[in-house]
Amino acid sequence: MDELNLLQKLRSVKAPPGFEKRVLSHLSLRKKKRARVRNLSLSLAGAFSAALVFFIVLNIFILPEKSPVGIADFEKKSLSPGYRAEEAPQPGPTIPITEAVDYGEEVRSLSQEPRTIYLLEKVSDEVSSTIKY
Amino acid sequence: MDEQELVRQIQDGDEMAFAEIVKIYKNKIVNFLWKITGDYQKAVELSQETFMRVYFKANKYKPVAPFSSWVYTIASNLAKTEMKRSRKFAAVPLDDVQNHLPMEAYASNPTDSGLLTNLREALNSLHPRYRIPVILKDVEGFSQEEIAQILKSPLGTIKARISRGRDYLKKELEKASSKENSFAMNEEYQDG
Repeated sequence: MDELNLLQKLRSVKAPPGFEKRVLSHLSLRKKKRARVRNLSLSLAGAFSAALVFFIVLNIFILPEKSPVGIADFEKKSLSPGYRAEEAPQPGPTIPITEAVDYGEEVRSLSQEPRTIYLLEKVSDEVSSTIKY
Repeated sequence: MDEQELVRQIQDGDEMAFAEIVKIYKNKIVNFLWKITGDYQKAVELSQETFMRVYFKANKYKPVAPFSSWVYTIASNLAKTEMKRSRKFAAVPLDDVQNHLPMEAYASNPTDSGLLTNLREALNSLHPRYRIPVILKDVEGFSQEEIAQILKSPLGTIKARISRGRDYLKKELEKASSKENSFAMNEEYQDG
């Protein structure tokens, strides 16, 4: 291993003149850059959290909606012995149901039908609002 | 002033203490990185980056190990990354490289013996995995335990790498000297 002792005799180099100054000026530049990046990331984080808060407030207070889980819980509750009728949910908004109608079969020629007039009369005031599946 | 005290001051953001650390380590780190990379300009750039990291990551330094080991850890990590990166982009035709080499690159150091030149060439051809531990051990004078700490590798691995690296260097030196001998013998034969 005598040859390897020569490793210590290998030519060595030194830092160039003005190295310290260059490092310090580089340091101040890097500090400024880091401050800029920190400000940018803080403002981005602020904007993101504001958007998140707005979304949460919107969903909780402005757009309340009953989930299917809530309805299922209510049905369970109504079967329990301590249930009171006042706890029943209020009738919800009317759900319009549209049905496709084939008018080709509904409208017939007047000449083939007897001249009868049908009067449609309302027979009950109650409107069924619950939908049963 | 004590190095640990300087580090504490750097942790508080003191630039004067940082300048002091740069002053102490600049030549050692530039030399170490030059021996690893073989490129002075690159060594200077990597040294600058090493000191930047020393300043900005000073809070991560734990005084369980010597400060010098920590600085060398940063420097060797940067060197490894740089060498991996440069190996990726090293696909340049040899002719182009030869045509763009500065004249000083060909000029040999007059005080340098042939053995040292061969040793440097062998060192440059050694894989960084072995080159870095060998340089840390035989040039910088760190103990094997310290090198294991610097390179974050098990002690056994470091011992094996140092041993393999040395074996490789020895073989390369033997090869180079036998070539030189045969060349000299040829010259003598031709001279008559």
